[in-house]
Amino acid sequence: MNSVIEVRHLTKTYKNTTALDDVSLSIEEDSIYGLLGRNGAGKTTLMSILTAQNFATSGEVEVFGENPYENARALNRMCFVRESQKYPDDSNARHALTNARLFFPHWDQDLAEALIDDFRLPLKTVIKKLSRGQQSAIGVIIGLASRAEITFFDEPYLGFDAVARQTFYDRLITDYADHPRTIMLSSHLIDEVADLIENVIVIDRGRIIIDEATEEVRNRAVNVVGDVDAINRLAAGREVIHRESLGRVASVTMLGHLSRTDRDFIAEANLDLTPVSLQQLIVRSTQADSPDHPAADTEVRSLQS
Amino acid sequence: MTAAIERPSRTAPSRPRNRTLGVVRLQFTNTQTFVWVPVVVLGGVWLVTLIIYWIISASGVDGPMYSGGSQAPLWYFAVVGAQAMNLTFYFSQAMSLTRREFYLGSLMAAAISAVGISTVFVALGLIEQATDGYGMGGYFAYLPWVWEAGPLAAGLIYFVLTMLWFVLGFWFAIANKRFGSLILTLAIFAIALVLLAGAAWLSFNQSWGELWMWLLETQAIGLALWALGLTAIFALGSYLTLRRLTS
Repeated sequence: MNSVIEVRHLTKTYKNTTALDDVSLSIEEDSIYGLLGRNGAGKTTLMSILTAQNFATSGEVEVFGENPYENARALNRMCFVRESQKYPDDSNARHALTNARLFFPHWDQDLAEALIDDFRLPLKTVIKKLSRGQQSAIGVIIGLASRAEITFFDEPYLGFDAVARQTFYDRLITDYADHPRTIMLSSHLIDEVADLIENVIVIDRGRIIIDEATEEVRNRAVNVVGDVDAINRLAAGREVIHRESLGRVASVTMLGHLSRTDRDFIAEANLDLTPVSLQQLIVRSTQADSPDHPAADTEVRSLQS
Repeated sequence: MTAAIERPSRTAPSRPRNRTLGVVRLQFTNTQTFVWVPVVVLGGVWLVTLIIYWIISASGVDGPMYSGGSQAPLWYFAVVGAQAMNLTFYFSQAMSLTRREFYLGSLMAAAISAVGISTVFVALGLIEQATDGYGMGGYFAYLPWVWEAGPLAAGLIYFVLTMLWFVLGFWFAIANKRFGSLILTLAIFAIALVLLAGAAWLSFNQSWGELWMWLLETQAIGLALWALGLTAIFALGSYLTLRRLTS
């Protein structure tokens, strides 16, 4: 695999805070990355620096082997869709999309038009007067139809309802299958994007704490469902990161692999193994150094947060 | 180290010049800012001035009338400069443009607009010259001091001043985004103090007379060249400020 982005010892400090702390990453071509982390973890800062919209305090960034800063050749191959993109005051969606068509070399107008239909985006209304979700749709359409070799989506679906989000996921995965490229998607909705992303990067307080294939992350834990007593016996001595129970039935997520004996026990006690929630694993790892907030209390942050 | 490898097969040719021209188009998406409001300002002031001339000449006053109304659109170009920055910069970043492309394209858009308005100015001046001030000795664009060196020079003077105001507005808007309004306000006061110090120096040395003499001798076209130099300096300042602006 070729890497399209190389980040070495990247640090970004603002007056009082460290937004990125010695980040090193290698992003492979033609793969979908999920960039996950809490608000203020440094996701936007990282993507802004990769697209040369912000500057590193120290460290190196290479995109297609070059420094992207003021580099039209490298920038030309990227597209960065921000959470709240600003548009010229009196412009409408048609202006924005016409301009995007002008600047992105791989722009696909048919795809753009299909997406306009999908999201029911009004083209003639001034962007300021569109709903939050419709404004987000403009960004999503630009991000998908630009077919840039590297596309960054930073929480692209603010204000989207569940249907619009599903449309976005479906369109993204279909178009990605036909036109493989590198996509980095930052999101709060971890379980929603879990099936989409091939690699997981978790950033917490400016540090990369997970950078692995999604499958490997999932294999860090197992989820067992069944009789509560049997599960308690299995879980004894293991670190449980999530537990739900209803009457005599419990569903428990615990860290670590299963031994042969464990598997025999599971079969005997009629327990079921179910897929692990990526969200719970990640929530737990971003809380690792704050023991006063046990995982069970975790409130999953919603889009509105 | 894993090498980040170029993929020539899928590499789009980079065409920075076309992208810069694209910025001109991007700026003109805002036809209101760049075209209609300047036209309305110029046309409105022209109309008001003519009505005043008509009232004056109707009341029997003779002799040529001059007004400074034609400079109104010049001032407005400071607003155009600020708008070109505020409304479009962040979108240009989303279009994966470099700051240099945004900067050059914006200046080109301003130059196109300035050429347009200067042409109108010269045309009005020629009409006034031919009709002796609309037949009532009222001059809006044809100001003798500006037209001393002919219509081309008058157009150049008007163009340079338009660009000067545009670049000033542009730079202030960039500085505002980059350093915040507090620092910008302080900077404006600092500039005012420097100008005051210059005025004080002239007063203490009783050199005002020399200054006026110099201004007269340099003539409008000479002053326009000075303004051109100033515009270049401000343009460079804008670029240096913009280079490190984040979004």
